Amino acid sequence: MNLKISALQFVEDVKTGNISVEDFIGKTMEHIDKVEPKLHAFLEINRNSLDDARTIDKKIKSGEKVGSCFGMPISIKDNICIKNSKTTCASKMLENFVAPYDATVIKKLKEQDAIFVGKVNLDEFAMGLSTEFSAYGPSKNPWNTEHVPGGSSGGSAVSVSAFECIASLGSDTGGSVRNPASFCSVVGYKPTYGLISRYGLISYANSIEQIGPLTRTVKDTAFLLNIISGIDSNDNTTIDNKNEDYLSQIDEGIEGKKIGIIKEMMGEGIDKSVLSATNEAISKLESLGAKCEEVSLDMVKYSVAAYYTITATEAGSNLARYDNLRYGYEFPVEGFEFNSYITKSRKNLGPEVTRRMIIGGFVPSAGHAGKYFLKALKVKSKLTKQINDAFTKFDLLMSPTVPILPFKLGEKINDPVALFLVDVNTVTANLTGKPAISIPFSISNGLPIGIQLMANSMQDKALLQAAHALESTVKLPEVQI
Amino acid sequence: MVSKEEIEHVSKLMKIEIDDPIEYVEKVQKMIDFFDVLDSAGVESEEISMPEIEIEALRKDEHLPFSDKLIEKLNHYKGTYVRAPKMSS
Repeated sequence: MNLKISALQFVEDVKTGNISVEDFIGKTMEHIDKVEPKLHAFLEINRNSLDDARTIDKKIKSGEKVGSCFGMPISIKDNICIKNSKTTCASKMLENFVAPYDATVIKKLKEQDAIFVGKVNLDEFAMGLSTEFSAYGPSKNPWNTEHVPGGSSGGSAVSVSAFECIASLGSDTGGSVRNPASFCSVVGYKPTYGLISRYGLISYANSIEQIGPLTRTVKDTAFLLNIISGIDSNDNTTIDNKNEDYLSQIDEGIEGKKIGIIKEMMGEGIDKSVLSATNEAISKLESLGAKCEEVSLDMVKYSVAAYYTITATEAGSNLARYDNLRYGYEFPVEGFEFNSYITKSRKNLGPEVTRRMIIGGFVPSAGHAGKYFLKALKVKSKLTKQINDAFTKFDLLMSPTVPILPFKLGEKINDPVALFLVDVNTVTANLTGKPAISIPFSISNGLPIGIQLMANSMQDKALLQAAHALESTVKLPEVQI
Repeated sequence: MVSKEEIEHVSKLMKIEIDDPIEYVEKVQKMIDFFDVLDSAGVESEEISMPEIEIEALRKDEHLPFSDKLIEKLNHYKGTYVRAPKMSS
């Protein structure tokens, strides 16, 4: 049984009877049990997966209508709610929280007969980019287990990369899907803001975050996007995409397209091997008939500071709901005064979350708002203008996804500012609402490098076509686990 | 400069208990210093744009009953009461 197949291949193999869902899921579960002690991608493994598989096999045999996922094993970041299963956000604050409803993306995947093999690791409340801030311990990069897998959707990227599932859903607030995708050599997608419903995604910075798929191929991302995108009455920020088919015409190519190479994302601090991979990607895009030219977006220099100011502020407000009174962990109320109970119970929040809540209280407060929060919103506005202007000249924008290689576990954990800078190429898409994708492109000293392409709002289809074109120029080695 | 008193004040506002405010002074100061780069962005005259949604585009203001008894899933649920800490000491 080959677990290393794409989503589309899996669907084809099940449809034609080449494989049974039960066999595939059975082997997947065995593989998960084998590699998890080394990788720790999962926070919880769904032991009912095999029963779900048998049910789908039965449906197939009896000629019943089967959803388009045909029992595909998918992992879900543990900040997305699946009804009656634990959703911890990798936090001790929510260690016993059982979600009472399905997120819209989960409902849609269930309708298409996806199988959720488990909930995967993240930095606590998605705040981080290495999974080292998970209250349940970090995940490891399958390419080199001494290195971080990226984050915050690190468990998602590891599980797809190490063949523990075929695809995963993560969430991307400042690069949290694209960064681990780049570090683990899988495809990671952040759609146009509003393309995918956030209903059932536990909020961190809701004005800029999106759920996004992590897959082995760009086509698989298009396949999943077809299922999970679209307007949702439970999320007022969703956009009607008129049931766009992102998979059709994916082979369109990029002949004649104009691509802007963002100067500020190739500058100071970039790793030499990342720079040379990016230059190689530029020549590949040109050989496919695209025209590449440098473009300067000077607001990018301020984007990380604006991003952290805005996200901390929104986090401070979003996390105010965790008072442990309605849901949370076991902590009796007896003997406490109301406010002191809340304060005490919040000691279960980890150090990074606590830090961001303090920052989130500080930057929008009286006396500081004008200097920090309002200025950050102004940078966001100006950056959006600059990028909209760039899209009048270019069809796509390009950069490395992350300017450095996956770093070692523990290397940056005590230096928040050093961690900030890892986000420099990814936050722009979030602040401006644009779609962006990370495509596995190169392996340097055994560590993956991803290339990022960005498009204008609602140009997700064209973006996937370009990503598919670039992807088809590379043949990467398989990870050895 | 971020002071110990400021950290204590903000943590009180955010209902967070911290053991050692001094530890946070240094870390928060480092982060805030980094945010100072915003001063050189030259955006003072920039307008803040906010997304707008037409009222008609909002979902209908109607009661949609939840299928499960959510109240039974609450922590500290006893009989017909939800137990909360007393409001003043």
